[in-house]
Amino acid sequence: MSVGNDAPGAWNRPPSGRAGLADPAPRVAFTAEQLAEARRLQSLYPDPRGALLPVLQMAQDAFGYISLPVEEYVAGLFNLSPAHVHEVVTFYTLFFREPKGRHVVAVCHNLSCHLAGAPEIVARLKARLGIEVGETTEDGKVTLQSVECLCACEHAPMMQVDDRYELGLTPEKVDRILEGLR
Amino acid sequence: MPRLTINGGEVEVPPGTNLIEAARKVGVEIPHYCYHPGLSVAGQCRLCMVDIEKTPRPTIACNTQAAEGMVVWTETDRVKETRRSVMEFHLINHPLDCPVCDQAGECWLQIYYMKHGLYEPRMMDEKVHKPKAVPLGPHVILDAERCILCSRCVRFCDEITGTGELGIFHRGDHSEIGLFPGRELANKYSGNVVDICPVGALTDRDFRFQVRVWYLDATKSVCPGCARGCNIDVHVNRRRPHHAEGRRVARLKPRVNADVNTWWICDAGRYGFTFVDDKTRLVTPSRRDGEAVTDVAWDQAVSAVAAALERAAPGEVAVVASAKMANEDLWALRRLLVHRGIRRVGFRIPPRVPGDEDAFLIKADKNPNSLGAELIGLEGNVRDLLAAARARQVKVLWIFGHDLFESALPEADVAAALRGAETVIFTGTSANATSERARWVLPAAAWVEREGTYTNFQGRVQRFRRAVEPLGQALAEWDILGRVLQALGAEATPPRAERWFRELAAAVPAFAGLTYQAIGDAGVMVTR
Repeated sequence: MSVGNDAPGAWNRPPSGRAGLADPAPRVAFTAEQLAEARRLQSLYPDPRGALLPVLQMAQDAFGYISLPVEEYVAGLFNLSPAHVHEVVTFYTLFFREPKGRHVVAVCHNLSCHLAGAPEIVARLKARLGIEVGETTEDGKVTLQSVECLCACEHAPMMQVDDRYELGLTPEKVDRILEGLR
Repeated sequence: MPRLTINGGEVEVPPGTNLIEAARKVGVEIPHYCYHPGLSVAGQCRLCMVDIEKTPRPTIACNTQAAEGMVVWTETDRVKETRRSVMEFHLINHPLDCPVCDQAGECWLQIYYMKHGLYEPRMMDEKVHKPKAVPLGPHVILDAERCILCSRCVRFCDEITGTGELGIFHRGDHSEIGLFPGRELANKYSGNVVDICPVGALTDRDFRFQVRVWYLDATKSVCPGCARGCNIDVHVNRRRPHHAEGRRVARLKPRVNADVNTWWICDAGRYGFTFVDDKTRLVTPSRRDGEAVTDVAWDQAVSAVAAALERAAPGEVAVVASAKMANEDLWALRRLLVHRGIRRVGFRIPPRVPGDEDAFLIKADKNPNSLGAELIGLEGNVRDLLAAARARQVKVLWIFGHDLFESALPEADVAAALRGAETVIFTGTSANATSERARWVLPAAAWVEREGTYTNFQGRVQRFRRAVEPLGQALAEWDILGRVLQALGAEATPPRAERWFRELAAAVPAFAGLTYQAIGDAGVMVTR
């Protein structure tokens, strides 16, 4: 009954370029202060698991992105199975599962922005950065995303750069914003 | 205790009973996927909707506890329409690949579509594609497209085994069941997720593509894998013998017994039946002269064994019984021992590696009937018995089932004991290093090929039934022993397992009053 696609591992290898558990990965751990903060967050909730999202955000800030070893490390802090941390990380789009650039540029592609010229803005960003949506520049500076409505339709087209809203965009304004990124 | 009315029928249920279980009590089936009585309530599938009077909308039955005076209707037009809609949602991205799906015939998507769906499909868009034929572990394979995300398997791994391997990743119509990357589903109970999967998402790597489920027959039985004696159904393929390379036993499935194994069995038990159709099975009585092995007729073998027993003084006969034998066999053996006055007997062979045990189902004693053998009075020191054989004080050494070379006993001691006895008799289902040193080999029927009872570690006497014919000329041990007893001039021996059990119940106080009828499907405790 050995059907070809039954071969162990034939289908469930991690995609290339993504750190599987078999790959040697540097050991992941919070600093003492970060760990104390994680424990403090856990103490705020009746069930410590309530702190999973904020601790994952901390982990993303600390390690740049949520790799599989990070998921396992966080699972250990919560005494959870890594599969359950993986559930949470894959559910939310704001967790990065691959290395992201130093800056994240997220252009709204929803209705208002689209009608107000978002495709032009995206085209300009792609041309200036030399990458497609969802990619990161080779120097690791910028990750480009296109996202759903960010609740600033009155200033369409708009985008979010890291924690900042950039409103009323024109291609020229996009150029200036990109030049301002370090 | 709350009293409520379901479809006009009144029922009283213990507090905390949900509406699915309460409805079962009045014979009303509420369709559901995600609810399982052995797991927590998830409320995931939304199929178990019912109408409750004085509530504005249909409500899920799994997460609603029966309350005093509640009036529940399960077949209103609104409920039926809700079910149809829920079914339509469940099938939006389902590949509808029933002709090549192993679950077909026992799939709740099929069953409920025919019973509660039957809508005109309206889905026109491309279905979402997901991973297919993904091996999750040694026993289980996943087709994520067929999955309806009921989360039963996830809850099983969280709540029953506590291993938490599975999760539901991503969201919306991209949600899929999976493992943490790089891990596998390899806990000792992994096969159960296939049983509880209501659809064809999780199938059994051992069973799939072997035979269609509608060709299978089920027989109630008991797992012989350890001292717990989990209740099982033996699924056999008699109607398509050319499928599955002649394998008659297709699979074992757990059978619910709240006092023994609840809904589950371990993987070791589930996949431990392969010896039944293996090439090592002994199928004819035979006699060995040096290297030469001659098949003989049963009559010849039985009279030769009886003659050997008669030639030897009672003190010169030693019997290594087995706790893998049924109560009926052990009682027949006990009668033979008493008839000849034989005292050298034992059944506990120390295993080479101690059996694994856990706090759930698995017991370290890998024999299904150690307590039965003890109660029937076959306790004895096997090491002393083999030492006597080594010292040439034993003329006839009769070994049941064991391979003494696969035990903690020193190999040299075993070999010397087998050499020291004049006549070695072996009775068992399968050839092994011990049977190869026996002068007489008497083939025994496997547990699925005969009737009998085991007494589990709790003292519960449980019946197993014949699912297939014995291979070749193999006979149940009680039958072999009965024939030898008759050849030795004993009074008439029972012709059926049930009659042997009746004799046992009349003779051994622990079994007093027990009958096959009383044992039924769930078993009965011995008196201790």
